[in-house]
Amino acid sequence: MSEPVLEIEDVDAGFGASQILFGINLAVAQGEIAGVLGLNGAGKSVTMKVIAGLIPAWKGAVRLNGRDITGLAPEQRVGLGLGHVPQGRQVFPELTVEENLRLGAYTLRRRDKSRYAPSLAATWERFPKLYERRRQAAGTMSGGEQAALAVARALINEPTVVLVDEPSAGLAPLIVRDVFDTLKQVATTGVTMILVEQNVAAALQLVDTVTLLQTGTVAWHGPLAELDRSMLATRLGIGRMLGPSTAAAANKRAVKKKAVPEKKPAAKKAAPAKKVAAKKTVPQKAAATKKAAPRKRAT
Amino acid sequence: MGEVFVLGAIAGGIYGLFAVATVLVYRGSGVLNFAQGEVGTLGLFLAVWLINDHGMPWVVGALAAVVVTTAIGVLFERFVVRKMGDAPRVSVAVATVGLLLFVLSGELVRVGASPKSLPGPFSGNGWRIAGVVVSPTQALSLVVALGVGVALATLLRRTDFGLGVLAAAQDPSAAQLVGVPVNRVSAFVWGAGAGLSTVACLLVAPGLGAFAPGALGRLFLFGLAAAIVGGLTSLPGAFVGGLVVGLVEASSGRIFAESSLPGVKTLAVFILLLVTLLVRPHGLFGTRESRHG
Ligand SMILES: Nc1ncnc2c1ncn2[C@@H]1O[C@H](COP(=O)(O)OP(=O)(O)OP(=O)(O)O)[C@@H](O)[C@H]1O
Ligand SMILES: [Mg+2]
Repeated sequence: MSEPVLEIEDVDAGFGASQILFGINLAVAQGEIAGVLGLNGAGKSVTMKVIAGLIPAWKGAVRLNGRDITGLAPEQRVGLGLGHVPQGRQVFPELTVEENLRLGAYTLRRRDKSRYAPSLAATWERFPKLYERRRQAAGTMSGGEQAALAVARALINEPTVVLVDEPSAGLAPLIVRDVFDTLKQVATTGVTMILVEQNVAAALQLVDTVTLLQTGTVAWHGPLAELDRSMLATRLGIGRMLGPSTAAAANKRAVKKKAVPEKKPAAKKAAPAKKVAAKKTVPQKAAATKKAAPRKRAT
Repeated sequence: MGEVFVLGAIAGGIYGLFAVATVLVYRGSGVLNFAQGEVGTLGLFLAVWLINDHGMPWVVGALAAVVVTTAIGVLFERFVVRKMGDAPRVSVAVATVGLLLFVLSGELVRVGASPKSLPGPFSGNGWRIAGVVVSPTQALSLVVALGVGVALATLLRRTDFGLGVLAAAQDPSAAQLVGVPVNRVSAFVWGAGAGLSTVACLLVAPGLGAFAPGALGRLFLFGLAAAIVGGLTSLPGAFVGGLVVGLVEASSGRIFAESSLPGVKTLAVFILLLVTLLVRPHGLFGTRESRHG
């Protein structure tokens, strides 16, 4: 495995006197979709917030692109390539869709304003529905559209890693499918993602690796292919939900595997000269989007 | 009728400035800043000291007063509001009352209770409009109120930082997660709130004649009423609210002569406030409750 783009090393964290995370380790490689699963209260959201910088780590380190970001403020981390699709979507309800996106690109625009226009164009292409609603206040859109906006708002900043916390929470099943379709499509563009999700069956169709959290420790970590589903089902207490769908899931995985070579070599090439390569992958991403879009419509 | 309108518009511009300062801080931090009027008054005494006692030009003294009080707002945010972090917003509001008392006692120690006065930036008799003599400073206050409104609207809707201010007002943690420097946003609203309040005090002072520490409290409260009438979260609403309060004040003063019924204007504004809160709690332009706890 090449050097991880995001790495959490031996992190402890908590609130006041109560410790919640105990020596968490997690490494995410370029282009990987890392699923973080666990029961209610296992510490998934706290882990995400430690990565985001919203909760300080008592001990240990968080590294982004090899750089120690443990002491940085959340907005500084965003400037260094962290993107967020927060729990509950959290779009800015009174601002228009376009203003939401412009805010999403806050640090991109500060670094280099000229990169905003192409990034916005790519966003409109990827999310044509949002383009139709660009002048509408975000709060007046449906839950599914807000979820799409939250994803688009994170991607427009061209992040190295996107943290997605429970995208399906509070959404109707049909809309959950839409949201996962969006995430799947995004996954094919080579974006690196950490996904926390209660909807395990849906998550397993998307992720490359699984990290199982249990009372603030990593109980299991490995590639999806090595995941023992009955073990996962037992630990999460959802035996019957995962059983019958295994075959279908394996099928989906095979489809996904086909898509993988498309992105993985590019990712490996990008690894040695990271900074320069990161910029160069942008047009590639846009190209991949164009290719991916018709395929999505076909399914 | 024309007289009421002219008087109401002039007073309303001042209330609008106070109200805009209140709304900025409320949107940015979810807190009513009760110290605002007195911080502006402190700026006024600083201007008196520089202009009357040290013979500085009005513009220089006024600018210095605005800069110093803006700094006080920024420092208060940095060392009190930010330190209080996630504390209930009521606690932060109480802290602003603490600042109010601190500033007030500072003024009493330094300048004493005897009233001072400050001339306006221009001399001259002004103009007679609809039977009312409008002084040059009063005319200026209307221009400044309009200018501040346009400048703020431009800043908030056209610049990234301004959009960040609006975003942080709607959802502070989401704003932070898109990369908005929320601490700088917070410093901005507290600083701008204090500075705008000083501008309002400087413009209203010549018309007041003499003023002592605490004397502008009534104007701040009228500004607060204007902010609430306007909806507390809306910047255009703040100016419209200012105008409404100004008109209510002027027409009540016209209907019942103040000399025979002392306090009738204050009573009229108070009734306006009550009616607003009962009939339309979100004010004329307020949308919904701010997300701040
Ligand atoms: N602000 C807080 N103050 C104190 N304790 C907290 C706070 N936030 C979370 N906790 C505790 O930390 C533990 C882990 O919470 P966390 O939100 O990470 O769980 P989770 O794995 O995301 O669960 P869920 O699936 O319910 O979202 C829980 O026991 C929770 O009670
Ligand atoms: Mg959670």
